[in-house]
Amino acid sequence: MLSLKQISKYYQNGGSKVYVLNRIDLDVDKGEFISIMGPSGSGKSTLLNIIGMLDEPNEGYHYFVGEPVHQLKEKQRSALYKQNIGFVFQAYHLIDELTVYENIETPLIYQNVKGSERKALVADVLDRFNIVGKKDLFPSQLSGGQQQLVGIARALIAKPKLLLADEPTGNLNSKQGEEIMDLFRKLNQEDGVTIIQVTHSEKNAQYGSRIIELLDGAIASSTNV
Amino acid sequence: MLKNYFKIAFRGLLKNKSFTLINILGLALGVTAFLLIVFYVVDELSYDRYNIKASRIYRVNEDLKLGDNKVQYAVCMAPLAQTLKSDYPEVENVVRFKRTSSHFKKGTETFLEYDVLFADASVFDVFTLPLIYGDAHHALAKPNTVVLTKTAAKKYFGRTNVVGESLLADNNVSLLITGVMNDMPATSHFKANFLVSMSSYPNSYSDEWLRSDYNTYVLFHDKSGSKKLEAQFSQLLKKYSGLQMQSELKMSYDAFEKGGSYFKLNLIPLTDIHLHSNMTGELGVNGTVQYVYFFSIIAIFILVVACLNFINLSTARSANRSREVGVRKVLGSARKQLVFQFLSESVLIVFIATLIALAAAALLLPVFNQLSGKSLAVTVGTLQWLVPAVLISIMVVGLLSGAYPAFFLSSFRPVDVLKGKLSGGFQSSKLRNALVTFQFFISVFLITGTLVVFKQLQYVQNRDLGYNRNQVLIIHNAFELGNQAKVLKQELRAMPGVVNATLTAFLPVASARNTAIFYKEAVADPKQSLFPQVWSVDEDYVSTLGMKIIAGRNFSNRMSMDSSGVILNQTAVKFLGLINPINKTIYRSSGGVNPTFKPYRILGVVKDFNFNSLRENISPVIMQLSENSGSLSIRINTANLPALLTNIQQKWKSLSSAQFEYAFMDAEFDKLYRTEQQVGKIFLTFTILAITIACLGLFGLAAYAAEQRTKEIGIRKVLGAEVSVIVALLSKDFIKLVVIAIVLATPLAWWAMHQWLQEFAYRINISWWVYALSGCTAIFIASITVSFQSVKAAMANPIKSLRSE
Repeated sequence: MLSLKQISKYYQNGGSKVYVLNRIDLDVDKGEFISIMGPSGSGKSTLLNIIGMLDEPNEGYHYFVGEPVHQLKEKQRSALYKQNIGFVFQAYHLIDELTVYENIETPLIYQNVKGSERKALVADVLDRFNIVGKKDLFPSQLSGGQQQLVGIARALIAKPKLLLADEPTGNLNSKQGEEIMDLFRKLNQEDGVTIIQVTHSEKNAQYGSRIIELLDGAIASSTNV
Repeated sequence: MLKNYFKIAFRGLLKNKSFTLINILGLALGVTAFLLIVFYVVDELSYDRYNIKASRIYRVNEDLKLGDNKVQYAVCMAPLAQTLKSDYPEVENVVRFKRTSSHFKKGTETFLEYDVLFADASVFDVFTLPLIYGDAHHALAKPNTVVLTKTAAKKYFGRTNVVGESLLADNNVSLLITGVMNDMPATSHFKANFLVSMSSYPNSYSDEWLRSDYNTYVLFHDKSGSKKLEAQFSQLLKKYSGLQMQSELKMSYDAFEKGGSYFKLNLIPLTDIHLHSNMTGELGVNGTVQYVYFFSIIAIFILVVACLNFINLSTARSANRSREVGVRKVLGSARKQLVFQFLSESVLIVFIATLIALAAAALLLPVFNQLSGKSLAVTVGTLQWLVPAVLISIMVVGLLSGAYPAFFLSSFRPVDVLKGKLSGGFQSSKLRNALVTFQFFISVFLITGTLVVFKQLQYVQNRDLGYNRNQVLIIHNAFELGNQAKVLKQELRAMPGVVNATLTAFLPVASARNTAIFYKEAVADPKQSLFPQVWSVDEDYVSTLGMKIIAGRNFSNRMSMDSSGVILNQTAVKFLGLINPINKTIYRSSGGVNPTFKPYRILGVVKDFNFNSLRENISPVIMQLSENSGSLSIRINTANLPALLTNIQQKWKSLSSAQFEYAFMDAEFDKLYRTEQQVGKIFLTFTILAITIACLGLFGLAAYAAEQRTKEIGIRKVLGAEVSVIVALLSKDFIKLVVIAIVLATPLAWWAMHQWLQEFAYRINISWWVYALSGCTAIFIASITVSFQSVKAAMANPIKSLRSE
């Protein structure tokens, strides 16, 4: 479903290039659950952002569901992204001014889904995540775990094929973290969502089907769990 | 989607209450001021447009040059109107007015009315003055008929349907009321409460082509007629005036023109009169287009300042919004949608601000009317243009002021903002600095303008006018006493507290005026001519008004020959080119066909005194000793004014049943400057407003700056910085901008105010301290605004700000 060929990302620092990512090759199949690990500054988040089309590589080829992303125009890329990718953040990044319900609804609005259909979809997700009772609350009224739950619900509302998570449990305590990881596993195994997560935690990495170790912008190892 | 945007906008506004308040309040203030000025400007521009045929109506003006004298008249010759109508097919109709004042009797009471016009019967065809009662076609056809306004009818009869009644005027002439019309709109360049048929005025049949007395309005079949007619004016004058010139001045029109003199006629569109015409013989006091420009510019300035606030505060707030932008982009929002979101947000804010502004403007309208001397009101007619205009302005202002923040905010890269990299964006904005500078540029300009206007007014009021206007009481209706007026004058002179008194209607403040033609020799030689004002005064005039005789002597009632003597002002002497004027003889032309010349001996020269507004230079005045009991001016000197007034009134009552109408000369003088005073006050008000709005913005910006630098301040304090050092650190950036604004605004202010002062023949020099003062004021106000926030930030406990990081 996803193929990166010779992807590089660098910054110009004085006369020399500082590589964040150096000729990365990565193939991800449908249904995989990949954990990206590595020390700080190894390029984990940058890699995730490039996969999520939030960032562009300086060099290399990027194919996603058969489309050459590196050749697409902004508009096409945006359309491709909207339909296929959901994002979950360490800091949740909910919109403070919107309620739980409205936060979850927002991606659908950007995909021009009709009002009645939106209602049904959001109700469905609220039900599945067991947060119906919280739907009129604002993010500030929720605990961290609950906020991340909403963040995941929001990422999944448009039924993406790929879920990207940047340290999804980084701001949570261990019990909340475990719940989120259980949810990820369930999504992956029962709903067939492809997941790529960046994590520092060895334990959380074990939830996935493959662990990729990054070191200084290059893949050091790729192990199947 | 729009619902979602508005929802988030609303919640965002509620969450940041102080920001919202500053933003909306500033904008509302600006829009209120803008609306009020727009009302004013629209009103000024709407003069005479109530006439359905306004676009086809023109007034005939006359330019006259005789020797070195050049005059522009708003009046022209009596027979012109009829000639135009009968000989020129492009002319549909004509109407003449002749301004007068008259007394009307109501029972035993007499009232003096100033708004009385003689008018041709065609007035109702040319102008749109609908009659409530009576037949417009025949109303003014016959002599001694009158059409009055509803208000006038109520005043004299207590009811409005008074057709068929009669009104007793001067000399016991009875005027038959043939119609009652609606009160004239305030937006008319002339006011009339009484229209008396022109045929009642004997001179209106005159065939004189060398005398101009009638305000003449022409209605054309279509607009192009005016050009056609104007092209034929010179021929027309040659034909008629030329003929009479031959017989009166014994001079052919060609020879007259060769001598450098001329008569010219021209047309001015009716709708241009109010703002563009300031000639001799106007029917009323007109406005000045300059002030319309002035106020329009101020209005736009204020609106711009308010919009800049909005832009500044919105972009300053971008730090708080950047995360939302990032999240939305990650959730699939295209940039276009974000731009749309922010634009709809700003339109919403502008909409709310405008609603507040509309309410405020409606509430403030009476205050503004007092300030501007207008009687503006919101009517159905106003709403017709106001509602669409307001809706359009909301869109335009909302989009314009939302555009920059929208594009700025939507340009954030989600990767950056979600990582918290772009927390600032504040210090970097050069644009914001430019905007703040521009706001203060405008403020400094307005402060300087206000100072100059007030200085000039002060100068005008304190200037030596050549006469002493203080402590002079004027009884304007002394003519009511007839021959008894002289008795009153003598009795009052004997009264304690009265210094002197003079009986004449010719006063240096607005009052009677009369012109004549004088020649140096007893021949009608235009090169030797003078067009002075001729004032009939008595021997106490000069001393009562505190004028100075600088050569020769005053009139004396002991010298029987003084009635053929004159006193000239310095300007008249200069114009005539006399070296030793005393005892020289000048000649007054009788005018008309075959003029005779009456010799006058120059008895004295009076020091020039101002009798027009100080906008104009002093023109020649010749005083002659003759009886005129128009009004009685009394120089008083008393500590107990009420008692003196009672005494004078008692004397008056013993002589007349008419009402005792008095005024003070200094108050009358001030009337000449009412426009300037109003302009001054309006200027002041809107300057304060503009500065307030600019400061509101600065206040908001300073708050954000302090917020952005909380951590820096915390660290600095931990390292031992004093509060004062931190305040200076935070204020410095803003004050720098204000200083730049001062440097830029000063030359422009100098230029603009210099232009304005050219309007005055007597004016101040703008001294350096005016600029210094306005600069200091701006810095002072800005400092206070900024330091309020800076001190707050500097006083905060650093532990708190550092812990939160």
